[in-house]
Amino acid sequence: MAVEAAVADGWVESFRRATEEDAEIQAHGRYYTCAFLLDMEEHSYLVEMHAGKVEEILIDPGPLDERYQFVIRASAETWRKFAQEIPPPMYHGMFAASFRGDMSLEGDLLVLMQNLRCVVRQLELLRVIGVPV
Amino acid sequence: MAQFSPVTGRYVTMDVIGDECKVFFLENGQGRPLVCQHTAGCHNHQWRDLLEDEEITQDYRVIAYDLVRHGKSDPPNNREWWKEEYSLTTDYYVAFITAFCDALELEEPIFMGSSFGGQVALQLALRHPDRFAAVIPVEANDYSPGFYLPWWKHPHADAAEVCASGVWDLMAPQSPDQDRWATWFYYTQGSEAFKGDLYFYSVDHDLRGRLEEIDGEKCPVVIMNAEYDYLTTTEEGRQTAEQIKGAEFIEMEGIGHFPMSENYPVFKGYLQQALRNIESRLGAPSPTG
Repeated sequence: MAVEAAVADGWVESFRRATEEDAEIQAHGRYYTCAFLLDMEEHSYLVEMHAGKVEEILIDPGPLDERYQFVIRASAETWRKFAQEIPPPMYHGMFAASFRGDMSLEGDLLVLMQNLRCVVRQLELLRVIGVPV
Repeated sequence: MAQFSPVTGRYVTMDVIGDECKVFFLENGQGRPLVCQHTAGCHNHQWRDLLEDEEITQDYRVIAYDLVRHGKSDPPNNREWWKEEYSLTTDYYVAFITAFCDALELEEPIFMGSSFGGQVALQLALRHPDRFAAVIPVEANDYSPGFYLPWWKHPHADAAEVCASGVWDLMAPQSPDQDRWATWFYYTQGSEAFKGDLYFYSVDHDLRGRLEEIDGEKCPVVIMNAEYDYLTTTEEGRQTAEQIKGAEFIEMEGIGHFPMSENYPVFKGYLQQALRNIESRLGAPSPTG
């Protein structure tokens, strides 16, 4: 499904700004450097972080575009619930939705664990800016 | 302005299956002892608001200890504990709690614990129904696999942060930030014990097929699970209670796996409901609310 370019671009900019203006990530993300794929079923977003800043976000990356270390994958419906201001039970976190829902954590989970605090916080920003699916 | 809390802290040294344990506990109040167990990898500050709640402490002697290897309770003084991998067993855990109640000479205490404290509350009801007036297993069920994980203590990741942020979404997102972050902070302090605690939680605690052996009429059991808890769901708590003779179940809405610590005002209402239920069954006048 083709993503609406304006919508996706707007979300990318919002996500970048929310991340770089977030006091918690900026206070604790000096070494927050990794790349991960947010697979939202209808679209996917490759997020590259460097020292707490968004280096680049690719929309629907091609198979050989860039490397990433881990994937957070779920249905579009799960992401929409996850991003509600007060998400319903079992959609309220990465682990909750993985243990009880259709979210899956794949790839090099060690890198996820090494950056866990910042990743958890960055995903919570979706409750402010919304998800692009 | 300086303000002193009515809560006091003490140490008691006691024997647990040959281990010399110097145990730290906080307490406040008078009346029937209400003995409180923190969650895995944590310590007794999770009960900070209950300990200072006059509505409860006017009728209950609230006692919250640190399990050995947690908070201010050091690992055993008489063992080279650093040469062994820590794995908490049901036998040891139950022995610790009964030794603590003996050391304080508590008469007919109510035992309340959350998460791995809730699971051991069920074990106490099974093994020592004569020693406790009642138990309140919070966030409990018969079996909770899946959380005995290498990530809690992996040399390539910051264990303190993995433990703390790894349990973050066990809490409800609408619980107050200040209390969720206090709970997160406690979890940065307990990574040495967390994984070993979870050996009990996810491996050794297994009451599948044995719940009917618990006599909830002799030792009342009130299970309370919260709707944002993904490890022990409300449905599992209800099913567990249904299999225990005389047990009650209370569903806690809008709260998660660390209810007493993440949002005490919400938890308190459910706790009072549990205490009223227990006191009515014990034949004493209803003391709270």
